[in-house]
Amino acid sequence: MILLQSPSRYLLQILSTRLHNLDKGVELDCHWVEFDDVRYHVQASVKNPHLLLLSVSLPTPPPETVFQGGLPLGAIEAVKAAYGVAVQILDPPRDGFNLTVKMNFSKLPPTEEYRQALLIKVASVREVVLGAPLRVFLRHLASRTVAPERDMLVALVHRPKESFFLVPQAEKVTVVFPMRFNDSTDTILATSFLQEFVEARRSAGLNNAPPCSWSPSPPLELKGAPLEALSANCGFVTFVIFSRHVEGKKLDKTVWSLSTFHAYVSYHVKCSEGFMHTRMRRRVESLIQKF
Amino acid sequence: MEAASRPAVVIDNGTGYTKMGFAGNVEPSFIVPTVVAVNESFVNQSRSSAKGSNWLAQHSAGVMADLDFFIGEEAVTRSRSSSTYNLSYPIRQGQVYNWDAMERFWQQCIFNYLRCDPEDHYFLLTESPLTAPESREYTGEIMFETFNVPGLYIAVQPVLALAAGYTTSKCEMTGVVVDIGDGATHVVPVADGYVIGSSIKSIPIAGKDVTLFIQQLMRERGEHIPPEDSLEVARKVKETYCYTSSDIVKEFNKHDKEPSKYIKQWRGIKPKTGAPYSCDIGYERFLGPEVFFNPEIYNSEFTTPLPAVIDNCIQSAPIDTRRALYKNIVLSGGSTMFKDFHRRLQRDVKKIVDTRVFASNARFGGEVKAQPVEVNVVSHPIQRFAVWFGGSVLASTPEFYAACHTKAEYEEYGASICRTNQVFKGMY
Ligand SMILES: Nc1ncnc2c1ncn2[C@@H]1O[C@H](COP(=O)(O)OP(=O)(O)OP(=O)(O)O)[C@@H](O)[C@H]1O
Ligand SMILES: [Mg+2]
Repeated sequence: MILLQSPSRYLLQILSTRLHNLDKGVELDCHWVEFDDVRYHVQASVKNPHLLLLSVSLPTPPPETVFQGGLPLGAIEAVKAAYGVAVQILDPPRDGFNLTVKMNFSKLPPTEEYRQALLIKVASVREVVLGAPLRVFLRHLASRTVAPERDMLVALVHRPKESFFLVPQAEKVTVVFPMRFNDSTDTILATSFLQEFVEARRSAGLNNAPPCSWSPSPPLELKGAPLEALSANCGFVTFVIFSRHVEGKKLDKTVWSLSTFHAYVSYHVKCSEGFMHTRMRRRVESLIQKF
Repeated sequence: MEAASRPAVVIDNGTGYTKMGFAGNVEPSFIVPTVVAVNESFVNQSRSSAKGSNWLAQHSAGVMADLDFFIGEEAVTRSRSSSTYNLSYPIRQGQVYNWDAMERFWQQCIFNYLRCDPEDHYFLLTESPLTAPESREYTGEIMFETFNVPGLYIAVQPVLALAAGYTTSKCEMTGVVVDIGDGATHVVPVADGYVIGSSIKSIPIAGKDVTLFIQQLMRERGEHIPPEDSLEVARKVKETYCYTSSDIVKEFNKHDKEPSKYIKQWRGIKPKTGAPYSCDIGYERFLGPEVFFNPEIYNSEFTTPLPAVIDNCIQSAPIDTRRALYKNIVLSGGSTMFKDFHRRLQRDVKKIVDTRVFASNARFGGEVKAQPVEVNVVSHPIQRFAVWFGGSVLASTPEFYAACHTKAEYEEYGASICRTNQVFKGMY
């Protein structure tokens, strides 16, 4: 199973290059966009080569999700906890962004190993920020403490104007993804991929993986969700997360896999399409050879 | 359309290196070798099972193969450390040669390097001036059908190099682009953003040849370099130590008089045994780039020096464009990065032009004096990826989105719309 990595490759490259050339720090001003409309902006100057401004904008939340001060619940705390003294949150953020932080290269940890780990963490800023609320709920599950919105339906944004849903309970958290694709071929491929995906998990003895299911219509858990959230042309995927899935180091991985589940499926759909094209080209070539 | 509110993705696929990033930036996000390492065991499995067996099994084998590959530096590393991966180079001499590999390469560029959703961005891709329209259709098919891009523009590389517009603050869309990459060298005259197709000149010598020449020189001198490393060493020597001399006879003398000043050392580690080794770098420092000015030292079949090719190119262009063309000779591509390359080129082109002016003046006995011709070879630090940069500039103008072919047009009219790409404002 191929998964997207949580650090942004480009951001990590920028940070590492900067760190290794602090004495000849160049002027930097670049922007880019990742899947699910997460946008980045990085700025650094020759005058203060050890400082770097990083701004992130998140997908526009749909009405049913709650942002506080422009950020998902728990994001500020998550940023502080993840980065410590090397990163400072600027208030207000740069125009058009949800978060701006100032990174100070002279306050990085002294050992190479920790420094590298911190750079990777900064490059994973979207996981830290966007995954913050999910992490809060899953952490409660791990420690078997009471989550704030127990037994309620919680909406979390993962794509522009689209959310996925959680039902946190004492012994498990149920996660539901309404799956939507624009293109008609994608829709067909994604639907069959999801059915295969669920089937494979059931049959292949992946007992440790969270149980999951797919249904064409909204599952019971979504009772009370807004109407728009209930329509999904590729059906609904439900995962049930137990505490064993979020123990210790597994927590971060689970948070990332769930927050990027849609991107993961979309990637597979594109791979399948690429493969079909390859096959079609071979067909055509062999036909041409026959003539 | 929402995608138009996001920066376009700009990818310049070269024979040697792919430059990719987002419009509006000064630098590409990544420059990676255009190479794919595929796990052959999967590919063969899906091929052999193609004879009527279970489609699903085949499909999964195919998807697995599609997932089990690497591109760029990672591909090179993988193929070194394991024999299950085979390298395939999708582009040869500026043309896509293997579409399966190309599609895989793009897939990784988009999902693993840029990490963007191709449905969210317009795309600007590049092609060589000699690309056939069919090839453009293939590209369109892959972009619109596999990746569902909302809009696509395929630009001609030298036009983008001009659009990089670093000559003056105002973008000058008339000029001759000398694009020397890894696998192809083209001299392309452009007037008001349009390529003068009939005057394009190509030279069968590019960066790869310089590398091969240096490898040969070092081998002939008996430098001890492990054979599996020698091409890579030659390339690095070329990129780090080569320069353009103004006169090779003088340069030989300089080296002989003061070897300590001119001879450099290369230190490496043998990949098999891990033992360190070192070798000398001598005349190849200036003989490498010299192949463009005296091609006969490398290739006995092609002997026209680059400055003469440039002059022929301009002389074959419409007469009313020639002065403007001489005035704006723009360098582009990694193999124009040799120190003082532009100086030598400027001097040699000027010499040819002056000789001709002198001859014609003499012929008319001084009665009609020809105006002196201004020759300018324009050089700039970003010329290594001038094509990409030009794409980045153009794709951030509002006119770009209107000039793109959209997915809706593709669905209505089919892949043939990709055959042509209109020149748009901002290009001139
Ligand atoms: N500093 C340098 N000095 C000399 N040569 C260089 C330098 N940097 C890169 N090159 C060479 O430039 C070539 C790559 O240039 P470029 O990226 O423009 O080519 P490309 O776009 O991949 O190929 P093409 O345009 O022919 O399809 C390689 O041969 C590389 O070795
Ligand atoms: Mg090129």
